[in-house]
Amino acid sequence: MPQIFTASADTRLRAVLFGIVFAVIVGMLFLGDILSSTYSTRVGWVRDQPVPFSHKHHVGELGIDCRYCHAGVEIGAEATLPATHVCMTCHSQIWTNAAMLAPVRESLAQNKPLLWHRVARLPDYVYFNHSIHVARGVPCVTCHGRIDEMPLTVQAQTFQMQWCLDCHRNPAPRLRPADQVTRMDWSDWDHHPERHDGFGEAVMQAHHIDSTKLIDCDVCHR
Amino acid sequence: MSVTGSDELARILAAEHPALAPALDGVARRSLLKAMAASLALAGLPGCDWRPDDDAMPYVNTPENVQPGRAKWYASAVTLNGIAQPILGKTYTGRPVKLEGNPDHPLTRGAGDVFLQAALLGLYDPERSQAPRHLGRPASWAAFDAAMQANARALDQVQGEGFRLLTGAVTSPTLARQIGDLTRRWPKARWHVLEPTREDQRIAAAQLIFGKSLDLHFQLDQAETIVSFDDDLLGPGPRQGVQARLWAERRRAFQAGQGGSRLLVAEPTPSLTGIRADRRLVASPRAVADLVQALALSLGIHDAPAPTLSATAQEWLGAVSRELSEKRGRSLVSVGPWYPPEVQALGLLINEKIGAFSKTLRLIAPIQALPPDDRSFAALVADMEAGRVNTLAVLDANPVYAAPADLVVRAAMDKVPLRLHAGLYHDETAALCHWNLPLEHDLETWSDARALDGTVSLLQPLVRPFYSVRSRHTLLGNFAGGSPEARTVVQDTWRQTWGSDFDARWRDALYSGFIAGSAEPFVTPTVTNRTVIAPPRPLSQALTLAIRPDPTLWDGRFATNAWLQELPKPITKVTWENVIAVSPALAEANGWKNGDQLRLSLEQRAIQGTAWIVPGQERDTVAVTCGYGRDLESGAGQGGYNAFALTATQEPWHRSGIALQAIGDSETVATTEPVHAMDGFDFVRRVAAPGASVAKESKAESFYPERKPDSPAWGMSIDLDLCIGCNACVTACDAENNVPMVGKDLVAHGRSMHWLRVDHYAEDPDEEPSFAFQPVPCMHCEQAPCEMGCPVNATVHSSDGLNLQVYNRCIGTRTCSAYCPYKVRRFNWFDFTGNDPEPIRAMRNPDVTVRQRGVMEKCTYCVQRIRAARITADIETRDVRDGEVVTACQQACPTQAIVFGNILDPQAAVTQRKANARDYALLEEANTKPRTTYLARIEPLDPVERGEG
Repeated sequence: MPQIFTASADTRLRAVLFGIVFAVIVGMLFLGDILSSTYSTRVGWVRDQPVPFSHKHHVGELGIDCRYCHAGVEIGAEATLPATHVCMTCHSQIWTNAAMLAPVRESLAQNKPLLWHRVARLPDYVYFNHSIHVARGVPCVTCHGRIDEMPLTVQAQTFQMQWCLDCHRNPAPRLRPADQVTRMDWSDWDHHPERHDGFGEAVMQAHHIDSTKLIDCDVCHR
Repeated sequence: MSVTGSDELARILAAEHPALAPALDGVARRSLLKAMAASLALAGLPGCDWRPDDDAMPYVNTPENVQPGRAKWYASAVTLNGIAQPILGKTYTGRPVKLEGNPDHPLTRGAGDVFLQAALLGLYDPERSQAPRHLGRPASWAAFDAAMQANARALDQVQGEGFRLLTGAVTSPTLARQIGDLTRRWPKARWHVLEPTREDQRIAAAQLIFGKSLDLHFQLDQAETIVSFDDDLLGPGPRQGVQARLWAERRRAFQAGQGGSRLLVAEPTPSLTGIRADRRLVASPRAVADLVQALALSLGIHDAPAPTLSATAQEWLGAVSRELSEKRGRSLVSVGPWYPPEVQALGLLINEKIGAFSKTLRLIAPIQALPPDDRSFAALVADMEAGRVNTLAVLDANPVYAAPADLVVRAAMDKVPLRLHAGLYHDETAALCHWNLPLEHDLETWSDARALDGTVSLLQPLVRPFYSVRSRHTLLGNFAGGSPEARTVVQDTWRQTWGSDFDARWRDALYSGFIAGSAEPFVTPTVTNRTVIAPPRPLSQALTLAIRPDPTLWDGRFATNAWLQELPKPITKVTWENVIAVSPALAEANGWKNGDQLRLSLEQRAIQGTAWIVPGQERDTVAVTCGYGRDLESGAGQGGYNAFALTATQEPWHRSGIALQAIGDSETVATTEPVHAMDGFDFVRRVAAPGASVAKESKAESFYPERKPDSPAWGMSIDLDLCIGCNACVTACDAENNVPMVGKDLVAHGRSMHWLRVDHYAEDPDEEPSFAFQPVPCMHCEQAPCEMGCPVNATVHSSDGLNLQVYNRCIGTRTCSAYCPYKVRRFNWFDFTGNDPEPIRAMRNPDVTVRQRGVMEKCTYCVQRIRAARITADIETRDVRDGEVVTACQQACPTQAIVFGNILDPQAAVTQRKANARDYALLEEANTKPRTTYLARIEPLDPVERGEG
């Protein structure tokens, strides 16, 4: 009976099988990394905007409060982006002819909105509500990072569900006084924990926040 | 990737929607998409559009008081038959997304019906006329204005001779004023009204006995005994919201042990009122007229030979007489508007005799503006035929489709040199007119209208029109050569009435949604004529035809509205077409089955429709409904037959001498409920009297751990004794939750997507059936089988008692639906929403996910409303108050049958309901511990009481 398989057939078969297993493992590792890489999460990536708006200048240097522009943050789900006329409250008087601000003037003149490319964006199936977070004292910097040090706006956190759950499972360490939510630098708070011992727990108790209920699916997904 | 390659589309359409396939020949993609538009699902086409939607466009100048993401509510009204249905419109940055009844309105108190809820889709309907047309080709408004000015100048020379205005029913004070001005300027011009479902026979009846036209207003909340002679008091129409609410008030008092609530009905075909009746008599239209006469005789009103009645009819009449005499001043007799004025006049005299005037029956001056010489539409056709009309202006009417069939409208209209049509759609009449002017929808227009009691509501736009449309006030001005602005015209009307007070009162009227104190005062007229001669009776012919408006399409105006097309009709649960309703006995005698194609011929006309067996219908009565068989440009509304082809001017609602024969084929009918039998189960339970307890199963053991509920613990109670089966809850749920419509074929497969269904049961169908309605939403079981079955935990239980559906986790195994004993879960078998046209996308509620293919969905107890209320309450550091969360179905129900709230709050309305002795759970034996429970119907079970045996 003639041999169907050559002597090296075994080797080749084993090599292929090993290769498949290896590829699968590497693939999983690779994929796992890809999904947490900044390519996927966009952390630290700058997006092209119609105007290269510098938060570092406006917030860090000029000291403008977040809510001056993002006015919806205390009253609704969306923080909202400022209307063109909000920019023009200042820029109708300063830097009135700057080339960089031409799109803003164009927008006002032609009554066409500025097309901003969103940086801090959640998928459509996540229904995030700003107002309750701001009301409870989750500072802007917790999720959006040191905006006052960003010459161009980037996403500071991964906004993965795991990251949201980390806080929702244990909100106390992240809660701050509600009247200081727009404060960017909490280094003194972090360096002197004894000054505000149990603050977060007190807030949770005062507002009957139960962290086991904060992870109900319908809190964010409906 | 293109999702609509025309070959693929054509193939799928041919397979899924064969009714449309012939229309596809030579149709370009764009116009085909327009035709498909809101009414159909583009089944099976993968929507692979991954353009990231992450650009933000803030305002340039934020309008005052607008906060993006927060809803603003505006009070306005939508109209049906010209009658206002007051609404609060919810808008997000200028986009209306939901309509709700205005709870502050003195008459409706927020009650509405399916037409109110579905009006939203009418606003966004891609099939609406979008631009003016002249001789079928797009034209400019400037050209139209120029033509009208020239025409007006010519008419000025002859005092308007030959100008005819045809409108639907008009209650708008502004439109009436404009028409008055027009007829004063052109004394020889005439105004005609065509509203096929108007109650003009009722007004004629009042004219007969009082000597003046009066509207009837039923105080159903004061009537402990209501006798209805084929009057669908609780049934569809402009009266439904108000009358259902008033009836429910009395019913609730009865449930609390205060007085009675009896409904005795004689009718040929089952109606919502008949289904609620305590004693229902099945009687042909002729027998119903005889019964009215017999009752009048027995009360000594009438002076004529007694009609012959069957034994059951006599028994029923005896019960009626007895109950009426027991409740003098607290009873009401109503004769349906389908009957000739003489029969209705007898009804009015009966009411006088039983002391109903000023107590349960009130009379008001007609809320409708009527032409001064009351020229009927028939007179217009005669004038057109004789060549006396040189300009016909049709303003929101459809004579070619809806006029009585004995008037040859087309030929008459052809003789008119200039025909103008202003309407929402390019309909049958528009096709015959030189100029087609697109009309503003009620939700985007300035106008006014009167509710049933005469209270005026101002209609204000919820949104700027997206198409190139004009309001009816502007167009009426245009017809006369002017060019008024709608808002100015409406304001002028009220400036005249209010004088210097105008600004404050105008703002107040816009804010509250009605003009306080504008209701018509009740009048107490004297009866001037007691001799009522009943009309000559036609020779008794074998079959009688009863023509009625359709419960979901009304008179056909909603033919392009997908929500209403797919809304199951309350009793037959048929969708997407109308059927020829026949009695079981007639069907058996002829060997007809559901779905058989029948040919109904009457004199020279014939229609072809699908037979449907309706238990409880009179043996020799055949019932048809209007509104289908449309001939629209896009092809929508073609299903079914046109019942208007069977009407006659003198006999609009009942015809005799019809012939009915099967023509061989059988078609699949898309019904959401093929079987209406309870099969011995106790889905709908009954108790004999208020305060009686309902039989309950003993508590079963469960090996699942008991979850201790945390506050708030959401629950719902549905009172089957209040539910009238109107389906307003279903439409409201569709609107609130972005429920997709799937089209006729998928509904026939049982794949409709309504989250809430209202089951209709007819027991003992061959005898005198006993009927019931049962709304079935998701039960939100505490021990939910679906939660146990889901392999990926896409359905989980929240800490406030909701059974959640997380769409992004769902992989579509459909295990949950298999495990659900109530079968309330709906699966997205195809991508129903990916190819939505722009207007439909704009309509969707942004608070609710629009689901993709492959995920399960179901009632969520309006979780978006719950979350919004909880967040608001949390920010204000308080608990959610009772009544703060109102689910869409609860809000829409005119009888308040549905109550929702926190069951751990002892003061909450839902807790009171659940503590009622009539409370029970559906499918108790499944031991799912549902949070949605029912209250049993109160029906005397004693056979003698029920008139049987």
